[in-house]
Amino acid sequence: MTDQETSYRQAEANVVLRQVGKPLERTDAVGKATGRTRYAGDYTMPGMLHAKVLRSDIASGRLKRLDVSKARALPGVACVLTAEDLPDRLAATDMPGQTGQKRAATDRQILVREIIRHHGEPLALIAAETPALADKALDLIEYEIEPLPGVYDTASALEPDAPIVTEPDNVVGKYKIRKGDTEKGFAAADRIIENTFYTQFIEHAFLEPEVGLAWVDENGVVNIRMSTQVIEHFRFIADALGVPHNKVRILGAMVGGGFGGKEDITVELYLALLAQTTRRPVRLAYTREDSFVGHGKRHPFSVSHKTGVTEDGKITALEVTISADSGAYVFLSPYVLLYCAVAAPGPYRIDNVKIDAAAVATNNMYTSAFRGFGAAQACVAYEAQMDEIAKALDLDRFEFRRRNFMRTGDKTATGQTVESAIWADECMTKALDALGDKPADTGTVKIGRGVATYQQSYGRITWFHDTSEAWVGIEVDGTVIVRSGVTDIGAGQASALGQIAAELLGVGLDDVVIYNSDSAVTPLAGTTTATRALYMTGRAVHTASTNLRERLVAFAAQELDARPDEIDLANGQAFVPDDPSKSMSLKDLASRGASEGLERSELAMFRAPFTDPIDQETGQGPVFPDFTYGCHAVDVAVDTETGEVTVLKSVGAHDIGQAINPQAVEGQIEGGALMGQGYALSEELIYEEGKLVSPSFSEYLIPTSMDMPDIQCIILESRSGLGPFGAKGIGEPSLTPVAPAIANAVADAIGTRVFDLPITPEKVVQAIREAQR
Amino acid sequence: MLRDFELDMPADLQETLACLPGGTPLAGGTNLLVDLRARRESAERLVWLGNIDAFRDIKIEDGQAAIGGGTTVGDILRHPGMERAAPALVDCARVFGGQMVRNQATLAGNVCSGSPAADSVPPLLSLDAELCLASATQVRTIALDDFYTGFKKNRRSPDELVTGISWPVPGPNTANRFYKLARRKGDAITVVGVAVTVTRDGNTCTDARIALGAVAPTVFRAKEAEALIIGETLTEERVDEAAQKAKELSDPIDDLRASADYRRDMVQVLTRRLLNQAWQSLGEKEAGR
Ligand SMILES: Cc1cc2nc3c(=O)[nH]c(=O)nc-3n(C[C@H](O)[C@H](O)[C@H](O)COP(=O)(O)OP(=O)(O)OC[C@H]3O[C@@H](n4cnc5c(N)ncnc54)[C@H](O)[C@@H]3O)c2cc1C
Repeated sequence: MTDQETSYRQAEANVVLRQVGKPLERTDAVGKATGRTRYAGDYTMPGMLHAKVLRSDIASGRLKRLDVSKARALPGVACVLTAEDLPDRLAATDMPGQTGQKRAATDRQILVREIIRHHGEPLALIAAETPALADKALDLIEYEIEPLPGVYDTASALEPDAPIVTEPDNVVGKYKIRKGDTEKGFAAADRIIENTFYTQFIEHAFLEPEVGLAWVDENGVVNIRMSTQVIEHFRFIADALGVPHNKVRILGAMVGGGFGGKEDITVELYLALLAQTTRRPVRLAYTREDSFVGHGKRHPFSVSHKTGVTEDGKITALEVTISADSGAYVFLSPYVLLYCAVAAPGPYRIDNVKIDAAAVATNNMYTSAFRGFGAAQACVAYEAQMDEIAKALDLDRFEFRRRNFMRTGDKTATGQTVESAIWADECMTKALDALGDKPADTGTVKIGRGVATYQQSYGRITWFHDTSEAWVGIEVDGTVIVRSGVTDIGAGQASALGQIAAELLGVGLDDVVIYNSDSAVTPLAGTTTATRALYMTGRAVHTASTNLRERLVAFAAQELDARPDEIDLANGQAFVPDDPSKSMSLKDLASRGASEGLERSELAMFRAPFTDPIDQETGQGPVFPDFTYGCHAVDVAVDTETGEVTVLKSVGAHDIGQAINPQAVEGQIEGGALMGQGYALSEELIYEEGKLVSPSFSEYLIPTSMDMPDIQCIILESRSGLGPFGAKGIGEPSLTPVAPAIANAVADAIGTRVFDLPITPEKVVQAIREAQR
Repeated sequence: MLRDFELDMPADLQETLACLPGGTPLAGGTNLLVDLRARRESAERLVWLGNIDAFRDIKIEDGQAAIGGGTTVGDILRHPGMERAAPALVDCARVFGGQMVRNQATLAGNVCSGSPAADSVPPLLSLDAELCLASATQVRTIALDDFYTGFKKNRRSPDELVTGISWPVPGPNTANRFYKLARRKGDAITVVGVAVTVTRDGNTCTDARIALGAVAPTVFRAKEAEALIIGETLTEERVDEAAQKAKELSDPIDDLRASADYRRDMVQVLTRRLLNQAWQSLGEKEAGR
């Protein structure tokens, strides 16, 4: 069933893997299961202060008066900072790059000086001896805000006399993609089908709200131990403090979930300012309510598809218009928009494509990174459109997809040739097989089946010139150490590195210790975002381990009187497979090597493909290193009288190239199934005039264990990816197809569609009624 | 942050009742502590009920079911006799909160919190439950149907404790059901809750209860709808009439969870559905005899 016709790049075929590909117990498992793992919030220091952030409770206004005198006078309050107390510096909202480059004019004010642009924008920082005193001080701050007219949807923001949130015209990003000739393509079509799909604001809802502890050490370095996906914001923090980059150090800890919500700067800037001012350790722990208003959200998108198709189900042309609400500050909106534009055609071969995308500023909460990063919203639209087209043509939905799927060797809409395997079809077939027979309807409860396939990048945009470093060393007793700045946000990022080093150095995972997530002492590995950690840092560890292995093998060859190509390393031994007399333990090898001055460590850098930016007018050119393909399929039961949707079975099938740890991959697929189900059915942040009115888990409804069906994970391994051992990425891709699969299943059950997520019971009932009219 | 409060931990019922004037009973805390933290509640002295002897006892005898004032939702689920003594209450317990909340939340706390979305109230109303209220000076019983006076208002005086809830065990020709409609299956605030009781003798409905949750300032019985089916054969038309009446009697609000219109429609859908199910299940029982 695999794609035999075209050959694709395949990594290291036919090697025997001893550690990689095995569902080993992760290095972080026992600590977490026994509660011994220390998260950032578990660290304290003698004499530390407790911080609080005062935030605006309206979305658009002018700060007329801010009086902190009573708060300052409260005994036990060490410090209250307002914009007046800060030098006129800004906070970066850009993606941290290894190159130090930054987009112009995208930074935001650190604290409100005059104009408030969104609900939750910080007005003042407090540090006090106890959390209760900090709370009390917060209540003592007096302020007056004059409400200003705001704009709360993208269409209004583009009107001629709209209030300007972001200069000059509220447009913060624009992309165009042009391929072939859509006019000709539509002329060749028998049918043209047009639909618009809408997605909502959603919340990352990680288990661990933002938290950190900062102190200034004896060298004047500001140290920040915190929960983050990105330790390399230290540079931006230094810029905001006005100190050299080497005077700020960020130490991570095990992270209780990120999903993109800990990709931007969160508590570290406030911590650094308060520690710098007070010269005392300061701890800041967001409450859940702080977290709801304190970080950027997933962009609501409207995505309009106009598709030309022939009667026999061949897509001849596609026009897509995309609009995203970027909220009050730029943050990563232009990049999210680009991801959506590039992903918009889906995993389909379409010769004539025209895509126009814009991100527009409003006074809603700013929007930024969120697992799936625009590509998830794109999939919500293109997979719904595929089903709508099939329905209009009266074609089988799966067969219609098969007639249009990209196949290995095909190019994307931006003209990038995909060098890895394209197994969208294979994944869909496996997922559908796993669902088996569709259960029968019972009375008013109708059963629906839906799939969604996808194409999603892993690794960062190629003109960011992404790099990652790792260090691997072998101790004189034969044990292995890995050092790398990578942050582990709960997916087993660190453990996977250990498994790669263990594989190449011939030891077990138990013999490896990993030090990670310290911007000063571990080699910088970049961000744990963009489904890049395993790909990039995995490759750096792979290279470092391979180079070290070569030296060990050469030395062992000398010691064992053999040729290097005869030597293998496994089970803590260096040996000649065919000659039992020639073997020695790695312990002896390493200690012998040490006494002979053998270099027992290696620092390696991995560089992603570097390209120039795509053409501004046509969008043509490579955008990403590579893509993952897969499918999610579900059966749902819909109570057509009440509109309640129950997901009966949920199957994710993904070609991830090579699973480093299949158990960790299953964790991603299961987590994606849950998060996508919430996106489809129940999660929504509701803003009224920019003010968040659903700021708690009693209104913001993530699925509970009682809402989740059995999830089946199917891992396909083409070994064709750019990652270590041919791995692709699964972190974001596992989420992307879930919501559209559920939306398609609901549409299948009720014979009509809800075009805007989330698909609430009320909307289902409405859609059924409208269809009956 | 949770504000500071005083906590009394009296040793028995008498001491508890002595503490109550000026104190607020703390049972599972799944409403009270949440409300204190959100500053919706300003109690300064809490009285813990955890030391009261036999406060979680459940007795089912002589056609009467009685549960102690400290009985949790989980206790209801685990008690083998409840399936028969209070079918709707068991339906409710299965979908109440999540596992952790069920182990902590008490029925008395649910009843006293007085939320129109309090899930145990429609089932208890459909079972003609009574509350036993005790203070240091008197003990009285009050029908649950007479308990609520308005949104989160009731006839309990601040020095009274709910020490028990009781109801007559439904007979074999009575069916009793509850359905909770919500935006997700666990830990969700109810959008519409409906409980019905139907007693069937041959082809006649001899008694009926219809109790509606989350569609008015308090949970209430749709008595005019009940009247439309008592003494009748529950044909499709009769049931439709009752469901229509229940819809008319409800007075819901628009909120983040659902619109008032949807809620009204769902009262009709669920009332119809539950009455039909109840009636038919009794029909099957009769046929099977
Ligand atoms: C995550 C979560 C999920 C929830 N899900 C549901 C749900 O599905 N359905 C639902 O209805 N509710 C739900 N709730 C609300 C709550 O759990 C229930 O109302 C619960 O029954 C309250 O009982 P308690 O023992 O925790 O009461 P407490 O919080 O201790 O008390 C509630 C009120 O009743 C008073 N009180 C308590 N016991 C007595 C007594 N014996 N006599 C007099 N007064 C008393 C208290 O003083 C207080 O005013 C949920 C809450 C949470 C946090």
